[in-house]
Amino acid sequence: MAAAIADQAIQGVLLGGLYCMFALGLSLTVGVLRFVNIAHGDLIVLLSFLTLAVCTGLGIHPLLSLVLVVPLSCALFYALQRLLLQRVTGQNPLLVLLITFGIAIIIQNGLLQGFGADTRKLPGGALETATWQVAPGLYVGILPLLTLLTAIVMVWLLDLLLYRSRLGARIRAASDDVAAANLIGLPTPRIFAAAMAVVGATAAVAACFMGLQMNFDPASGPSRLLIAFEAVVLGGLGSLWGTLAGGIVLGVAQSIGGEFDAAWQAIAGHAAFLLIFLLRPQGFFPKY
Amino acid sequence: MNTHCRQLGRRPILKSLAVAAATGLPLARPAIAAPRTLRIGLIMPMTGSLALFTEHVPFVLDQVRRTYGGMLPINGANHPFQILAKDSQSNPNRASEVALDLILKDKVDIMCAFATPETVNPVSDQCEANGVPCLTNDAPLEPYFFGRHGDPKKGFDWTYNFFFSAGQVVGTFISVWDRLSVTKHLGVLWANDTDGNAFAQVMPPIFQKAGFTVVDPGRFDLPASNFNAQIAAFKSANADAALAVLPSPDFTTFWNEAARQAYRPRVVTPGKVGEFPPGVYPYGDRAINFAVEVWWSRFHPYSSTMTGQSCAELADEYEKASNRQASMALGFRHSLLEVCFDVLKRTQDLDKPESIRDALRTTDCKSIVGPINFSKGPFPNTAETLVVAGQWRKGKKWPLELVIVDNKDVPEVPLGGHPEPMTYGS
Repeated sequence: MAAAIADQAIQGVLLGGLYCMFALGLSLTVGVLRFVNIAHGDLIVLLSFLTLAVCTGLGIHPLLSLVLVVPLSCALFYALQRLLLQRVTGQNPLLVLLITFGIAIIIQNGLLQGFGADTRKLPGGALETATWQVAPGLYVGILPLLTLLTAIVMVWLLDLLLYRSRLGARIRAASDDVAAANLIGLPTPRIFAAAMAVVGATAAVAACFMGLQMNFDPASGPSRLLIAFEAVVLGGLGSLWGTLAGGIVLGVAQSIGGEFDAAWQAIAGHAAFLLIFLLRPQGFFPKY
Repeated sequence: MNTHCRQLGRRPILKSLAVAAATGLPLARPAIAAPRTLRIGLIMPMTGSLALFTEHVPFVLDQVRRTYGGMLPINGANHPFQILAKDSQSNPNRASEVALDLILKDKVDIMCAFATPETVNPVSDQCEANGVPCLTNDAPLEPYFFGRHGDPKKGFDWTYNFFFSAGQVVGTFISVWDRLSVTKHLGVLWANDTDGNAFAQVMPPIFQKAGFTVVDPGRFDLPASNFNAQIAAFKSANADAALAVLPSPDFTTFWNEAARQAYRPRVVTPGKVGEFPPGVYPYGDRAINFAVEVWWSRFHPYSSTMTGQSCAELADEYEKASNRQASMALGFRHSLLEVCFDVLKRTQDLDKPESIRDALRTTDCKSIVGPINFSKGPFPNTAETLVVAGQWRKGKKWPLELVIVDNKDVPEVPLGGHPEPMTYGS
């Protein structure tokens, strides 16, 4: 039994890597841009469909297609912030919420119209089933392992970007006090748009790994948003490493819950979230 | 991967329906008083998660139009008819609503519906309550009869359904597993949905009687994010046979994870996925030897009372028209309208719903899916259609083709091969 639970915990940590990826973009939006993007899950699904179109159109591996999809996604998120969301930032926070809610509905129905209701998956080739036998009876899938490692690298890079780079300093300045940033001549609308472009890059990578590990259909966005949101809140608003920890806690809770009864899998994740939220409402590593 | 675009969307279906309806208008009136237009209601999930079930409908409606030209010969007179199709949106409440609409506003003479108990049961309940004859298929008999709280002593007055029964399918599976001499441990994945809950009630006793130990990790909600726990349970129980009843995205999650965890059952049955070519194509060689129940195929030795085609001819015509591989569902779409017309042709007095109902009750039709007779079913108001077992193998015309490997219950269906265990690339 102990061995089985240890095995499940390891699988849960790997799953947490994927959850962290969903959540990273949202963590940035909430922590830096200071709004809740209801369309985050749907934007990831949209990017999964885009990746699917690119890799079937050009006949290349989904991971390779990121070379094309990441810049496209950055441009999309940049434009979204610059042309639409910027108009309402700083006003009633409900407005942004409503606008992103509208975007979510438009994306879901647009995808339904364009791609139909079929569930899809990205063609991962041999990577889908590749596995590594760590010990007798203990297998670690290469794809989940790659996902977790990529998630860690992404958190590390974003941390560098935010706290060690010039752009990061500007983003934080604009985020902390828009009026003061404007006063010293920072082009805050462009800085926010650049931050959103970074969110776009994380969303594109998340979309690719999600499409490889799970399937997606036009309606699967909201369930991704829920997981991402829980990971962000668990980790503490604004903390990127916290988001990684939050994702892993959710993954482990789900896997261990499932070990006792399959019915407990989903509920165990939510229960762990609620319990930790009650004990520590500010999350693990709150920045604010 | 084989990305699979839905070629037949809602619009083409609606268009072909418009054509079918237009041809149903009484253009050429005979000298005697023109018979009134018969109205046939047809409820199906054109949109939503069950939309794949309607793939063959435009084709079959086109066949109807070409066969009858909108006129049905009944008792020597030509009766114009109309097929009124409505979308259930894959939602039981909506199905019930559109059924009531067809009954009250359009005053249909007979109702048809198909695609899972989620569509068939609410429509049948409305027809039963309003006294409208109703013919359905593609819903297993147990969820149909007991899901509607049917009493085996009384049955229903107005509603009839033909399809396989869960009990019969289990028998077919056991036959295949025994021939592959699997360990008597069976891993099952039954989700927390109508089918999963119904099968979890009906099937385990039959498996146990045949000497199988059922490893059931419990009901789980869909979509499931991972199957680590279930796979660990199957591995530790040495479950050589795996039976999953999961929508394709969830089965993919399971099947990829099984590969990564080196869970390699000798037989795998992916219910809800393995019945459809678009369901198995994405797995490529990893789908070879997936075993499924086969309710209809191009190899079945039956023919249509509507078009006179054999099963092979029907499948060929569909593949030519659509450029897609024909599947089990095609036979059942064709048979639904085939039996419906058979009923109308035998009706004594078309103006009396009771008369149509009596014709429906006494149906004895040698249809494209085999004999349909509602007096012989395992439960009242049902007819059990025949099931054999098949496995997916590398095909000549299509990437994967279904081969009949066991015909224990229906020896007249020719075998195309013998059961083989999964190979896992070795």
